[in-house]
Amino acid sequence: MKRRRFIQALAATPAAPALLAQAPPSPSVPKTIPNPGNDAPLLYAAPDAAAEPVLHFFTAQQFAALRKLSDLLNPPMNGAPGALEAKAPEFLDFLLSQSSADRQQLYRNGLDGLNAQARRRFTKPFADVDAGQAEMLLVPLREPWTYDAPADPVAAMLRAAKDDVRRATTNSPEWNLAATAGRTRGGGAGLYWLPVD
Amino acid sequence: MADTKYDALIIGSGASGGMAAYTLTKKGIKCLMLDAGPPVDFERQRVNRSAHELPFRGFGKPGKLAHVFQATEFNANQWVDEAQVPYTHDPKEPYNWVRVRMIGGKSLFWARMSFRFSDYEFKAKDHDGYGDNWPISYSDLAPYYDQVEPIFRVRGRRDGIQQLPDGVFVEDTSGESECNKRFIAAARERGIPNTKMRTSMGRGQFASSFNLLLPDALATGNLTIVPNAVVREITVDKTTGLANGVNFLERQSHREMHASARVVVVGASCLESTRLLLNSGIANSSGVLGHYLHDQFYITQSVQAVISEARDGKAPSGFIGGGGYMPRFRNLKTKEKNFLRGYALDWSTGGSPDAKYFPLYGEALQKAVESCRGAGFSCTVMGEVLPRADSLVRINKSVTDAWGIPVLHVQTRYTSNEFNMAKDAIATLEELCHACGWEVLGRHDQMFPPGYSIHELGTCRMGDSPKTSVLNKWNQSWDIKNLFVVDGSSFVTGGSQNPTMTILSLSMRASEYMAEQMRKGDL
Repeated sequence: MKRRRFIQALAATPAAPALLAQAPPSPSVPKTIPNPGNDAPLLYAAPDAAAEPVLHFFTAQQFAALRKLSDLLNPPMNGAPGALEAKAPEFLDFLLSQSSADRQQLYRNGLDGLNAQARRRFTKPFADVDAGQAEMLLVPLREPWTYDAPADPVAAMLRAAKDDVRRATTNSPEWNLAATAGRTRGGGAGLYWLPVD
Repeated sequence: MADTKYDALIIGSGASGGMAAYTLTKKGIKCLMLDAGPPVDFERQRVNRSAHELPFRGFGKPGKLAHVFQATEFNANQWVDEAQVPYTHDPKEPYNWVRVRMIGGKSLFWARMSFRFSDYEFKAKDHDGYGDNWPISYSDLAPYYDQVEPIFRVRGRRDGIQQLPDGVFVEDTSGESECNKRFIAAARERGIPNTKMRTSMGRGQFASSFNLLLPDALATGNLTIVPNAVVREITVDKTTGLANGVNFLERQSHREMHASARVVVVGASCLESTRLLLNSGIANSSGVLGHYLHDQFYITQSVQAVISEARDGKAPSGFIGGGGYMPRFRNLKTKEKNFLRGYALDWSTGGSPDAKYFPLYGEALQKAVESCRGAGFSCTVMGEVLPRADSLVRINKSVTDAWGIPVLHVQTRYTSNEFNMAKDAIATLEELCHACGWEVLGRHDQMFPPGYSIHELGTCRMGDSPKTSVLNKWNQSWDIKNLFVVDGSSFVTGGSQNPTMTILSLSMRASEYMAEQMRKGDL
């Protein structure tokens, strides 16, 4: 769902005002900031409510594979948004662009490897494999957990993505909205420390 | 205009500095306290946020606070920024130096585990022949534990465990869940004791110097607190050889100031205190200042298990939940084959295993996570680290902090004694889980890097001889009699217990001695 339509749909929901009143401020919806010089409060919106992220980090093929993988790792379920609705791949593109070289290599090599495996076994990129083929490629995720990450680059990336995609999904504005509407459990929240002067 | 003459100048406002101020001011001693950090208004400084509102959606800014594994994007601003106050170490020997610079110091954020040491720590050499004894015994410190525990309102259960002496507790009368009874019984069959966690309840939302010690000290009218004072060096009168004050820099302006007092009390936390003494070039005739750095190794989520009967929300009321503390039980009467000393276990039931432990993904993973919600067992291992002379800190003059003060270089690593101890802990825990019929999802014996526990100790050790120690049994410098170091740097051994109660008790004891010496005119 496009962001603008998403907001429109929210506004059209009768219960929305009450729900928003209970929820912490969201970057997806306009914020009201008191304006001491004027009775009319100014309304502000977070960037995500008005714009789409510009992708920088992954190549088109890597990003297509990440989108497919994210959907498999965290599909929508019982009213809770999946990774794609939560724009987890787009967020990870941003996060990885800011991350250490080791972390960047982990994802790039892993996604390239996943695409290479898909082409070798099924003559198509990972983004185009069907459910059964994906199952065969994601076998490393069926291995019991060990403290040390797998040595294989694809398996190592899959392990990292399993955690990151899940977190990027449950910490998204879309998930927060679903939680506020009672469709899923709450995402991350807490007391935030402002910078100490 | 600095027209007040101070009797004591206290550096640091955390547990040790706070207790020194609390004790000294009540005896009529005029104290000046300097702290490198600001006072914090917790109501204004913290706001409720959802993770999605944070710039990095709760992941944290990559690379920021790389050594502070406790940091989250929520609390990132509470820790010392390593870019501002750096330290160095060999890349192959990482060290996690976790610091707080605010009035109240780390006592604002500690886990509140509140234990006494026993003579298994104070007289460790007598017990197993390794290292050194403290110059004091449990009986010397017990009267001070007796006074500290009521101030911090330590909740606990008196169980008569020799290696974990009972204290003056707010009695914990809570019962045990059925799962916990099963786990405790399995441990008892193997000779492993258990008690309730001993926790400082404090008052309100804190159990800190900030709310339990400093207000009382201020109420005497004998305490002046100057925040944002970054102490650069302790100054010494060349004629008398005594400390006569400190030079410090205002945190924001970097303006340099000098403060004077009859006695200097250092309680800036183990490594900051040691750094200050090293940078001042004092109190090191023994050559051991900075050596014998130790802490406790930590392994969190060491064994993660699922209690089948509690899956899918089927656990009846009282079946699962709560936890306990298993104090050191190794090497007390018999000797283990491949390690000295021992470890403690902080365990709990009723948690939810992280998704990473399930070899699943997609809907199957989400269902498994939901099924095991509230059905987990988890445990943190806390192991004693042997104090070693070659585990040390020194000044790295080629790197300075934001105030131009040379930084510390840390050189330490865990060795086979700690690794073997960790393996034993995990094997023991796994055996207990299997004995209870619980499904082990994950196990590991990988400890965090040294420093993670935030229990750094020993770099300004006390002892019986000025040739082998920095401080005497009163936390008093052998070299400069009006210089006292009252924090964890004075420890000789660290045990497996959280050291805060012992730091507080030592500081109170040293301060009472100090006050008496001042009264007699010996200081």
